[in-house]
Amino acid sequence: MNKTGFLGGMFTVMRKELRDFARDRRTFLLTLFSAPLIYPLLFLGMGKLTELRTSTQLEKTLELPVVGMEHAPNLVAHLRSQGIHAKAAPADVEARILAQQEDLALVIGEDFARDWRAGRPAKVELVTDTTRRSGDVAVARVRGALAGYGASVGSLRLLARGIDPMVAAPVSVGTRDLATPEAKRGILLSFVLPLIMTLFAFIGGSHLAMDTTAGERERQSLEPLLATPVSRGALVSGKMLASALLGLASMLLILVSFKVSAGLAGGMARSLDVSLLAMAKLLLILLPLVLIGTALLTCLAASAKSMKEAQSHIVWLMLLPMLPAYALMAYPMKDTALWQYAVPFLSQNQLLVKVTRGEVPSAEQWTVYLAASLGLALLLWLAAVWRYRQEKLAISA
Amino acid sequence: MIVAERLRKTFPGKGKDKTPVIAVDDVGFTAHDGQITGLLGPNGAGKTTTLRMLYTLMKPEGGRVLVDGVDAAADPERVRRSLGVLPDARGVYKRLTARENIAYFGQLHGMDKAAIAARTARLAAALQMEDFLDRATEGFSQGQRTKTAIARALVHDPRNVILDEPTNGLDVMTTRGLRGFLKELREEGRCVIFSSHIMQEVAALCDRIVVIAHGRVVAQGTTDELRQAAGEASLEDAFVKLIGSEEGLHA
Repeated sequence: MNKTGFLGGMFTVMRKELRDFARDRRTFLLTLFSAPLIYPLLFLGMGKLTELRTSTQLEKTLELPVVGMEHAPNLVAHLRSQGIHAKAAPADVEARILAQQEDLALVIGEDFARDWRAGRPAKVELVTDTTRRSGDVAVARVRGALAGYGASVGSLRLLARGIDPMVAAPVSVGTRDLATPEAKRGILLSFVLPLIMTLFAFIGGSHLAMDTTAGERERQSLEPLLATPVSRGALVSGKMLASALLGLASMLLILVSFKVSAGLAGGMARSLDVSLLAMAKLLLILLPLVLIGTALLTCLAASAKSMKEAQSHIVWLMLLPMLPAYALMAYPMKDTALWQYAVPFLSQNQLLVKVTRGEVPSAEQWTVYLAASLGLALLLWLAAVWRYRQEKLAISA
Repeated sequence: MIVAERLRKTFPGKGKDKTPVIAVDDVGFTAHDGQITGLLGPNGAGKTTTLRMLYTLMKPEGGRVLVDGVDAAADPERVRRSLGVLPDARGVYKRLTARENIAYFGQLHGMDKAAIAARTARLAAALQMEDFLDRATEGFSQGQRTKTAIARALVHDPRNVILDEPTNGLDVMTTRGLRGFLKELREEGRCVIFSSHIMQEVAALCDRIVVIAHGRVVAQGTTDELRQAAGEASLEDAFVKLIGSEEGLHA
């Protein structure tokens, strides 16, 4: 009598699922190529936007509405020398700022000239809405120019009284920024890149994982399959293997696209480490996530009554990889604590950022990460096998 | 040979009253090699659930199933290996051709390429499916799909064949062809069980009939024995009397 081993059955199922899926051309191409095509667009687009912001807001002359311009002609002249052109502010300037028609305004008090001459602190006010980020750069420029003006006039006054201005500066504060210029420029990418990679690794192969379980049952072909001598464990493992291979192929394409688009895009994208070794590390980081995603989706699809129910899980699953990114935005953490490498999604985020910044994760971090994530994948695989053994799996509603 | 002994299966109730639904109460029969055994009963009588217990998809709550002397609960994989099953659900993979659908099941049974090819050729001839064998099954007619499903169920040359309402949705000519095919299986000495709610079909084909109603076997035997048991001259009257209603009498 013919014998079917666990592995034989598993590979038969895997080959069939991949062949079946590959013949569904459009879904196949979408699954494999949507993420790799997003990357170049993202790189070029985000690089362009950042450059645009810097060049328009830092170098262009800034039109600054000023209330009470006539009180401080010297200050206005100083601002002009810094590329900030003062213009008389309209009467409703505060309302205009609230309505975002202006980013900021400068109010020079009526007593400015009198205080100035008397040597008292003369009052100027910056009016802005600090919750609107679009004005950040302009506010910083004006603030810098005002501080510079104040400091230089103060020094002159001391000199005029025969005092060394150094006396008034007991502490000199300087910052030595140890961040490499590469890392600085990569901040934005370091937030977006891991997110897209984890998202696609996690649910990029979702279609196949759900279709081979919930879809197969809905198309009434699961029951005949379960009537063959192949064990249920082998059946579900074969389906998951097909889905994981697809996920892996899609990861490879994403990494290739990542490498190519980082080379194409100028500016900050150049700072990313896209050597082959770094690519191999990224793949090693993403592989357990592919397995976790496949197993979790198979589990959910096997528990769902219909394909529709299975697909409705996608919404909250998509949010999962984003949680650590948002948590880190709200509460930035050092990536040194070992426990972080055992938490799903957070660990991938930290490792991906590390590797793309050109840093080397330590051996302990790798060990904790691989043990924790592969362990979770194994647990989910066992859960999927257990779900497949249940009687009600086969009976379509 | 397939022996079912006092099978029982209930499902948990849904809705407000949690009383379990009794799908199969007490079903027992023996299907011999070289015979066609028909399970006859109205819709909802428990035929499909009984068959599902025979091919190990469901575990009976009481009783047991023996296939060629092997207890289905003890070694379900061995039992499935000696069974060819056409379940109620008979979806085929629409992006694969009929031949590939059949080959997939052959591989799952551990057959090699040559054996699959030889067996496919035999089944295709017997089921008259040569002209659509290499077409993708998307757009197949009901008859073509059923034939594909039957061929893939029998690709491993099983001793025992279980068919759940095989003629459902088929036209007259295809049904006639299928009957011929079932008779061939009987001539080859196989044990064939099939279920139907159509009395005429069971009467025309079966050596033994098991009449099931409300999850119980109400009578079994040859057509003559059934007529005697009911004390009626026509099988139709006997059937009505046995199941207690005219439900499912006509196709």
